[in-house]
Amino acid sequence: MKKWFVLHRKEWLEMTRNYKVIWIPLIFVLFGLMQPITSYYMPEILKNASNLPEGSVIEIPMPTSGEVLAQTLGQFNQMGILVLVLAFMGIVSSERKSGMLKAILVKPVRFSSYITAKWMSAVLLSVGAIFLGMLASWYYTVLLIGDYPFMNIVKGTSLYLIWIMFLLTFTVFLSTFLKSSGFVAAFTLLLSILLTLLTSLFEKYMEWSPAQLTNAAASLFISGKLEGPLMLPLITTVILTALILYLAATRKSSL
Amino acid sequence: MNFEINWALVAPLLVIQAILMIIALFDLTKTEKTNGPKWMWVLIVIFINTLGPILYFIIGKKHS
Repeated sequence: MKKWFVLHRKEWLEMTRNYKVIWIPLIFVLFGLMQPITSYYMPEILKNASNLPEGSVIEIPMPTSGEVLAQTLGQFNQMGILVLVLAFMGIVSSERKSGMLKAILVKPVRFSSYITAKWMSAVLLSVGAIFLGMLASWYYTVLLIGDYPFMNIVKGTSLYLIWIMFLLTFTVFLSTFLKSSGFVAAFTLLLSILLTLLTSLFEKYMEWSPAQLTNAAASLFISGKLEGPLMLPLITTVILTALILYLAATRKSSL
Repeated sequence: MNFEINWALVAPLLVIQAILMIIALFDLTKTEKTNGPKWMWVLIVIFINTLGPILYFIIGKKHS
């Protein structure tokens, strides 16, 4: 256990050194702030940007607070996942490339604690970044658009984070055996896009899909209550995450 | 552009973009080698806002 914490601390040191600790949360806060601001200024932006004839009137209803927050979540689901996956694609593969992995495993350290320490640091950083981003978005939404209960933010974001954890675990898993970190990012993004797409296309057959968690979080933001399947995707996602993490932590042949 | 921008509202965005740029530039002065010429990254970081620093952090840094 003590060794595990040493490895975990090393990860944080590493992430501080390459500034991941700063830039990842900053990006999410930026995305989070941007959404309420663009929603707020949208009528004026359209008025100025389009070449409409003099005197034409555009009526755009101001979105509700819940809708703006759901849009923020959508933004996180595209740009946010892209950033996280690209940031963590080399988490194991680049260390294997540089020979760092061998240097660490020469010491009496189990491969599984090495992987779980890495996984934990990536998950903690992403969770923190997304919470900060949602908090920023909530703050601006309340200021610009209208009041919104804080507890809904916490609940919705927590649901969404389970989906993010699933994707991060998959990233770590691929990173343990793929040589190129580019492939890691490509496959993880492909998985996330496919799951999201299939879930929206075949809603009936995809009730178990981890991507349902995003929909659940969005509906929680918009209507204040959970609609659609929840328990089934929650259970499958947790089981899949645990399984993938186990597979990643027990891969020894890949050295 | 004929509408008032509330600068108090936009200021945090500008501050965050500035911080990202400064960190990237600071890192550029410290590292010896980057993927691709260094002056190119300096230009990217300065002139492409937000995306420039992210690109540098993700693909510009050379892992030793």
